[in-house]
Amino acid sequence: MTMTLPTLASRRLPLAMASEQRATLRRLPLAREFDQRLADAGLAPMRPTRIEVMQVNVGRVCNQTCRHCHVDAGPDRREVMSRDTMQLCLDALAKSDIGTVDVTGGAPEMNPHFRWFVREVRALGRHVMDRCNLTILETPSHRDLPAFFAEHNVEVVCSLPHYLGARTDRQRGDGVYETSIRALKRLNALGYGSGVAGRRLVLVANPVGAFTISDQGLMEAEFRKALGERHGVVFDQLYCLTNMPISRYLEWLVESKNLAPYMEALANAFNPAAAAGAMCRNTVSVGWDGALYDCDFNQMLDMPVAQGAPRHVRDFDLAALTARAIETDRHCFGCTAGEGSSCGGATA
Amino acid sequence: MAAYFDDEDLAHFGELEKHHPELWALWSKYYGKAFEEGLLTKREKILIGFAVALCEKCPYCIHSYTAQAQSIGLTMEHLAEAGHATASLRAGITMAHALVAHNIDKKTGM
Ligand code: SF4
Ligand code: SF4
Repeated sequence: MTMTLPTLASRRLPLAMASEQRATLRRLPLAREFDQRLADAGLAPMRPTRIEVMQVNVGRVCNQTCRHCHVDAGPDRREVMSRDTMQLCLDALAKSDIGTVDVTGGAPEMNPHFRWFVREVRALGRHVMDRCNLTILETPSHRDLPAFFAEHNVEVVCSLPHYLGARTDRQRGDGVYETSIRALKRLNALGYGSGVAGRRLVLVANPVGAFTISDQGLMEAEFRKALGERHGVVFDQLYCLTNMPISRYLEWLVESKNLAPYMEALANAFNPAAAAGAMCRNTVSVGWDGALYDCDFNQMLDMPVAQGAPRHVRDFDLAALTARAIETDRHCFGCTAGEGSSCGGATA
Repeated sequence: MAAYFDDEDLAHFGELEKHHPELWALWSKYYGKAFEEGLLTKREKILIGFAVALCEKCPYCIHSYTAQAQSIGLTMEHLAEAGHATASLRAGITMAHALVAHNIDKKTGM
């Protein structure tokens, strides 16, 4: 039975507000603050090393409403990046040497200008990663997307929490696993996942519950064996992500009474090496309305880039953004626990 | 009344060190080393730990090895399989002990 719920926004819950989410985290008794940990590791204030990735969140609309979603995405959301704002992203890219555009959402493919944007980014000679939930590829109006991805050498980074169906469905909704496997097979049929250039297929696993993954390499081996034997599915790499205590996952943590122990465990597992590799150090994140953030998580918590740095993509200035200090708070413990977690998986 | 087993206890396990630091150090080195990856994988060792914890009925170790199993992506489905393997072997061992009775009966019975 599905355990997914409608978006927090549609249920008009206080926790739908970023301010309430941050206040909920603030109320916890934690032995040490994130910034203190950073200072102890000689990393405060956190600053970018070099901005190599522009992560563009093209909207919060999604065909799913996963239980752990940090975006509070769902079919009822109305935030969608306009073509004008996408053009501003392209202008910013054109005047920088940022090599990778990481397109995320929601289900980014549901943005009506998605394909245009991907083509334009590719025309600028930049690498495109699409953060895909897989099931969208099986909907009638998006069935041709795998071929589109292949035509434009788009790297597909897709979510599959677990290689066991029941686990995946519990987090993402009934039938999601089966549909995801069908989509993966179609991607495989186009050469995705077999190590061929321009057909890179990455799976993203995340814990189904209030714990973290301690060994990305081991997980990758388990996934490879299970998906290969059960479904003949192949992939290039597996990233393990830690669930961030934001939006719907935060709601689940509160309801299941896991919030305090989960945050304590993340804080205790603070790893300076993981912090040094945090993705905000090489990424800048653009919101659906063009606002700039240090990462997609800060974006969802309404924490824009620091005062003094350009705050909208129309004012994009790579040097000024590279010089900024990154805004951090307690949720950042999610990126720095154990092996670390980022949009590129483990960081330490 | 205070419970003999408390899930908060595990965090204080290390306090036992102070009563005999030398033996504690020897044991913890041995434990650490024995659970390092060798010919057996980390996954195999975690499952051995889990099976022993079940057999010995140690709530602390069951907790600890369940958490370790979760952290490498193993689920209750995996742990249930491990549990049944453990339980069935225990049942087999019980039956094997009936051999003692069988042997006595062979010797003394008519
Ligand atoms: S986790 Fe991804 S697929 Fe699930 S609701 Fe959020 S954006 Fe959609
Ligand atoms: S949550 Fe964002 S700002 Fe904080 S450490 Fe992670 S990537 Fe950096």
